[in-house]
Amino acid sequence: MAGHSRSEGRSAAALVMKLRALIALALLAVTFSLLSPEFLTASNLSILVKHVAINAILAIGMTFVILSGGIDLSVGSIAGLCGVVAGGLLSRGLELQAFGVVIYFHTWLVVAIALAVGMAVGALNGWLVARLGVAPFIATLGSLYVARGAALLTTGGATFPNLAGSAALGNRGFAMLGAAGVLGLPVPVWVMALLAVAAIFLAAYTPFGRQVYAVGGNERAALLAGVRVGRVKLFVYVISGFCSALVGLIIAAQLGAAHPATGQTFELNAIAAVVLGGTSLMGGRGTIAGTLVGAFVIGVLADGLVLLGVSEFWQMVVKGLVIVLAVVLDQFQRRSS
Amino acid sequence: MGAGTRRLTRCFVLLCCAALSPACSSGTGSETAADPGRARLIAVITPSHDNPFFKAEADAASARARELGYEVIVNVHDDDANKQDQLIDVAIARKVSAIVLDNAGADASVAAISKARAAGIPSILIDREINVTGVAAAQIVSNNYQGATLGAEEFVRLLGEKGSYIELVGRESDTNAAVRSRGFHDVLDKYPDLRMVARQSANWDQREAFQKTETLIQANRGISGVIAGNDTMALGAMAALKGAGLGHLVVVGFDGSPDAIGSIKAGEIKATVLQPAAYIARLAVDQAHALITKGSTGQPEKQAIDCELVTQANAGEFGIFQRISKEAR
Repeated sequence: MAGHSRSEGRSAAALVMKLRALIALALLAVTFSLLSPEFLTASNLSILVKHVAINAILAIGMTFVILSGGIDLSVGSIAGLCGVVAGGLLSRGLELQAFGVVIYFHTWLVVAIALAVGMAVGALNGWLVARLGVAPFIATLGSLYVARGAALLTTGGATFPNLAGSAALGNRGFAMLGAAGVLGLPVPVWVMALLAVAAIFLAAYTPFGRQVYAVGGNERAALLAGVRVGRVKLFVYVISGFCSALVGLIIAAQLGAAHPATGQTFELNAIAAVVLGGTSLMGGRGTIAGTLVGAFVIGVLADGLVLLGVSEFWQMVVKGLVIVLAVVLDQFQRRSS
Repeated sequence: MGAGTRRLTRCFVLLCCAALSPACSSGTGSETAADPGRARLIAVITPSHDNPFFKAEADAASARARELGYEVIVNVHDDDANKQDQLIDVAIARKVSAIVLDNAGADASVAAISKARAAGIPSILIDREINVTGVAAAQIVSNNYQGATLGAEEFVRLLGEKGSYIELVGRESDTNAAVRSRGFHDVLDKYPDLRMVARQSANWDQREAFQKTETLIQANRGISGVIAGNDTMALGAMAALKGAGLGHLVVVGFDGSPDAIGSIKAGEIKATVLQPAAYIARLAVDQAHALITKGSTGQPEKQAIDCELVTQANAGEFGIFQRISKEAR
């Protein structure tokens, strides 16, 4: 009898541990709605989710990389570069000096080009890691600098303002990416939702997803089991590059301006969301859903503290404490299991 | 492996020679000034050029120095005092005649500037002061306090002396953020019907200002305006207000950046305060030249240059961080 109830207690504790990020999120939401009457209004929540989307989209891509046993430090720089590429193509066009012409692309083509640039940088990361065997930390640290430098070179350090486009050139409508969309929800929220569904499906229900876990869990075993490790690694960085490009486009669309320094330290926020969501930095263990919860914890904390008028310095302290606490809990869970 | 290592070593030695050669060749001459036949060198060191303000400074200083017959080396310290220290080491090693510096911290820069002084190289500081005197040859800054009161007075006028507002402050570890905020409040706090409902730092950053304004107007939809410690934050706040259908509210910035002036011309943000950064940078080079040729800048060490208010009425009179002269227009 006693043994039975003890095991029940243990499983309840295990459940709390497992859902700790979700519980933390609920606690934060309750606290902020008690402290600020505006927190739980529909318009504030809509804006909150829109703010979360930026980090969540990066963190979804980052989750695949970390699950495979890697890390991607270049996400913020790729976002900055892709924003600037789109901004430049919209406001200045592509100037071909040899032919003396300036080509303006349709808005959707500009978006596609920017996404392709993000995926290309991701592919470069993947190639360095998978083919040349460069440590992911070093490979992506390199592209962090190269992509940022490229973004700054593209604009000469300046900002591309006024990305509204013009009807004559047929490139209007870029701002839509950051504005309200179907059902009144902002487009970035829809992008995040669609991406999350696709990522959950990809990670949990496809051979590719299982291979990512296998490579991160035990690369040698995966290789012996016939997994094409190199190709899996290449793909996770391409996914991350794609997500980074999406973020760069969304930020440029929201601000109506593309600044080459956009996205500095974004990689750290994305990694924090992944870790908060219970994904192991060693790879092979974690979920996309967990990452989403992690991104929401960070976002709710940031917006809630602004709403309460807490100083920027305290916001940083609190964010740091929450991240460390989450990892401490993670250690407890692993030791007990 | 042995051959590879040897080749690497040879490359390294060659590189070292290349790096040292300017220092070696000028080391035999009688220090800096007394060699009129050869072009002398001025180092221009500023924060990162990803901010057009610092790029304008560096461009104006190097253009003026070349006009006066100097060679110029331009470097950025990215607001990193350690990197600035290394750049000043390089400048000393290359025996520059003077350093024009927008420094990386009021206290953190003192040692590096003293080191240059000990090596006989004068530093002319622009844009930001340091917390000691007698180390730099000159400190020429725009009068941030006077500029902030100008911006605040216009803000008050546009609001009709009443209503509630949000203040976005710059990076709180930066002296200018505090000075501008003090200038704002010394004016705004005199009006009893003006009420500040929120004050947040957005770290000089456009995206951060955008997100924070979006969140803050949730709790304060009745505000009449936003006053920001620089233009990028003002533009971020404007984008957020437009998104919320509040684009008609009064937004006032600071700096006079080309983007902000464009926004004023388009009727979006209402005013900004222009810091004459390009003028100050040229002034710094002129004083460095006077110091090198005549032994004195002819000016006191601390010099404050007044800022100018930019509104829709006069926006056409300003270029990149300077008033366009009549002839040029």
